[in-house]
Amino acid sequence: MLAAHKLDSPERLRAHLAQGREVQEMRADGQGGWHWQNLAAGDGLPFEPPPRPPLTSAKPLFFAEREALFRFDGGTFYGCLPEIEPKVLFGVSACDLRALAYQDQFFAQDEHYQRRRRQTLLVGYDCGHSCAGGFCTAVGGSPLVNQTQADLILRRNGHGGWTLLVASQAGAEAIAALALPQAPEDWTAERDADLAQVRAEQGAQAEITAGIAAIQAASVEPERWEALGLRCLGCSGCTSVCPTCSCYAPLEQREEGGALLHERVWDSCLYTGFQKEASSHNPAATAGQRVQRFWYHKFGTAFAERFGAYGCVGCGRCDVVCPGSIGAHGVMTRISRP
Amino acid sequence: MHTVPSICAYCGVGCGVGLRVEGGRVIGVEPQAGHPVSQGQLCAKGWSNAYAVDPVGRITTPLVREHGELRPAGWDEALTRVAEALRTSLETYGPLGVGVISCARASNEDNYAAQKFARAVLGTHNIDHCARICHSPSVAGLSRTLGSGAMTNSIADLDEAELILVIGADVTENHAMIGARMLRAQARGARLVVIDPRKTRLARLADMHLQLRLGSNIALLNGLVQIILDNGWENRAFLAKRCEDIEPLSRHLAGITPEQTSRETGVPVEQLIKLARLYSQSKAAFIAYGMGITQFQSGTNNVIAVSNLALVCGQVGRPGTGINPLRGQNNVQGACDMGCLPDVFPGYQKVADASVRAKFADAWGCAMPETPGMTSLGMTKAAAAGQFGCLMILGEDPVQTDPDRNQVAHALAQLDCLVVIEMHLTETAKLADVILPAASFAEKDGTFSNCERRVQRIRRALPPPGQARCDWQILGELARRLGHTGFEWQSAEAVFDEMASLSPIFSAMSYAALDTHHGLQWPCDAEHPQGSPILHQHSFPLGRARLLPVSCVAPAECPDADYPFWFTTHRLHFHYGCGSMTRKSPLLERETPAGLLFIHPADAVRLGLAQHQRVRVSSRRGELITRLELSDDLAPGTLAMPYHFREAPCNLLTNDAQDPITRMPELKACAVALEAVDEQAKEEGAHARRP
Repeated sequence: MLAAHKLDSPERLRAHLAQGREVQEMRADGQGGWHWQNLAAGDGLPFEPPPRPPLTSAKPLFFAEREALFRFDGGTFYGCLPEIEPKVLFGVSACDLRALAYQDQFFAQDEHYQRRRRQTLLVGYDCGHSCAGGFCTAVGGSPLVNQTQADLILRRNGHGGWTLLVASQAGAEAIAALALPQAPEDWTAERDADLAQVRAEQGAQAEITAGIAAIQAASVEPERWEALGLRCLGCSGCTSVCPTCSCYAPLEQREEGGALLHERVWDSCLYTGFQKEASSHNPAATAGQRVQRFWYHKFGTAFAERFGAYGCVGCGRCDVVCPGSIGAHGVMTRISRP
Repeated sequence: MHTVPSICAYCGVGCGVGLRVEGGRVIGVEPQAGHPVSQGQLCAKGWSNAYAVDPVGRITTPLVREHGELRPAGWDEALTRVAEALRTSLETYGPLGVGVISCARASNEDNYAAQKFARAVLGTHNIDHCARICHSPSVAGLSRTLGSGAMTNSIADLDEAELILVIGADVTENHAMIGARMLRAQARGARLVVIDPRKTRLARLADMHLQLRLGSNIALLNGLVQIILDNGWENRAFLAKRCEDIEPLSRHLAGITPEQTSRETGVPVEQLIKLARLYSQSKAAFIAYGMGITQFQSGTNNVIAVSNLALVCGQVGRPGTGINPLRGQNNVQGACDMGCLPDVFPGYQKVADASVRAKFADAWGCAMPETPGMTSLGMTKAAAAGQFGCLMILGEDPVQTDPDRNQVAHALAQLDCLVVIEMHLTETAKLADVILPAASFAEKDGTFSNCERRVQRIRRALPPPGQARCDWQILGELARRLGHTGFEWQSAEAVFDEMASLSPIFSAMSYAALDTHHGLQWPCDAEHPQGSPILHQHSFPLGRARLLPVSCVAPAECPDADYPFWFTTHRLHFHYGCGSMTRKSPLLERETPAGLLFIHPADAVRLGLAQHQRVRVSSRRGELITRLELSDDLAPGTLAMPYHFREAPCNLLTNDAQDPITRMPELKACAVALEAVDEQAKEEGAHARRP
């Protein structure tokens, strides 16, 4: 059972956590977008989570889209491990936390990722309503933060107040000095009600369920994948915004002075060149094969078993960002049609 | 990390991007959610904007040529040298012997400064930019028929169209977010028809594809209009109320039969009749066209033929309709709007009009020349003839992107002084006497105008690397050294305000208004303070629109026994222009081998050639070695090459036969020969026939 506290204001909690930590929170840019942003000291703006997950998930805060791995001066290799100050991500949704747990497995041995991860306190946020386009409940996820995937869980109560759930030792220590009062007993019932509400809002998501079944049964004909491939422009948008995508490519450039800088940059498996071999043979030579591979990685049985969860958390970002209208819903609808 | 809203620096669609900045570097890009044009999406180029502005590989200090080599120099030395070269050239050749080629990739503010510099400081109308080789025929053709050369409607009109007709444009590859919107329109029920000699992605997804023979645009469009008139499908009310007499056009077309059109174009009769009916009977039909219309020696007439079709059916001036040229570069619309053309001042105010000259002479405090200026090709030809002293080129690479590159390089070598303002050491920059380092779009404030006439703000996300500066600052400093005032702007906004105060079509625009409205579309004046998403709703700038008879002219060079293949050029989704920006992305660079020749599999089989085989392609102008890519995108008998790769520069082959009205070269059609070469043959096989 989680410890639960009554919280008078999330802003007070945020200000408390900011002592000794850098705070990042999603903020609107006034142009229609939301971004993770470092808050200035003393920032007192009201905590207002975005109406849907921002295009950029928490992924780049750990798996940087571009970072130096090492430098080679012709004689010696020099590592480029980042120096990370303690920080707190304030108000991460359940889907993004679930994706982060997936990335934690992928990057378990990656010191660049783990340094950032170790220094970050995660404050999750329970969604009381489904976002437009979200389908977390259809892919084994939930709008409620999984207690193993955050340090603290913030939730807005039905009657307007706030509850703070303590999900880890680090979370407990971080708020100990606040001496928050015990929450009323009804918070578990409220969580159940939120889940039911979001389930109802998201509906059956029949095309997602049928699409997953078709992928797992390998019953989608190659022609259908190729028809989808024709709509894939290879823009890399889906893999960039997907919170569980983790592929990267090397970028080596000579610096002034002659040393070689080896960076890694986000890659996309939808590019032709992603798997092209030196002989120019390509195991995924057609766009259809690449689209198929992408979705097998999200819903294929082997991946689900290895990671203990689907590689899709139901955030719906790919639907938003795909110029060919073949995000999750577009693809699943087309492959599940008879 | 923080995110700075800006506009993509690639094509003319004008998508909203957020530049993700960390540690003094743009490390990534994301689409701007809710942007009216891109609606929260981007193409492969858009997502890779960060690499294009990376400081590695940038020119960060002025460079001057000494004993044949470029060496770093301070701003003072470099600008002194440029000022001296300009002074000497003006004395030797007069104002017609100096000029500026401005940049369709730079901001409106940079372009305004460039034409003001040419006109006020150098005293010449020798100012042009690369619109010459993309949409100068659109400007000329639509000016003749309607009175205004820009997209008549907005990208959002696709959402209201019942029929979308794409002519000679590979939209999903080159204007991907417009292509995406077309596909969404099709999904909601609009019909999509593509006219193109190549089976493009969009052609494959369209409801109908008319795969016409290369260079038969006018035959096809005339044929369609004649079918419409023959069947009485024309919009008589619109013709009566909005157009001049149709009689000369109908007399010109009389007697053309669908069978004849089919023979000339290779398009089946039933497709012709079906499209003629669909287009004329649609409640709202949107025409989009690209380089497949303009890059011909008949480019202007091709545009006029498109305009005739739209006017006869009254598909102009309403939501969901229009004649819509898709412009190639992020700010080619703006470079035109700013008057970086030899015949117009900012806002398309004509140089030939004495009262306009007087107005600018008054505003800028110096006399305005009367002598007309030269186009960019005119300037290079004058250089080749030894009649040109000093040319300044801002951010363009004519050596790689203009036709017949040997001629261009030869011409530039004849100059007394070539000055290039650039971010990268392009093929053109390598020939320069002085290179001045330019700031990228991520390093400056300003505005870009997209192809639907929307002026949008770009914002400085980080300082320029090294000593790089904005073009308008460089030109201002140079003007000061040449003894001119009027270039002392303290900000990009001040440049914009000066421009807007002198250009009626921009008179109600300000940075504040642009911020509030996600950009504004010109004309934006006291009468249209919210801008003008749709032009020509009640009348045309000419009053009544003109229907001008035009006839099909074959390309200047057609296949024969020596050069048996048609040859055309195109672009790839992953690359842009000369590749100086896209090829800095390791991911985009990985996508395509550096240079490819597309060939139909049937032709390859006939000649015994295999996928990726090394071949020599030759035309009357030059030859190069590249590799084959088998693709049924093309009709048999036609070969195609993208122009992004310096390793296989297809403009060694292209023809510089020109549209007589705009000097647009015929980049889309010439004749070539093909032969297999030994795998061991030297890679650098590209050379010219002429010295």
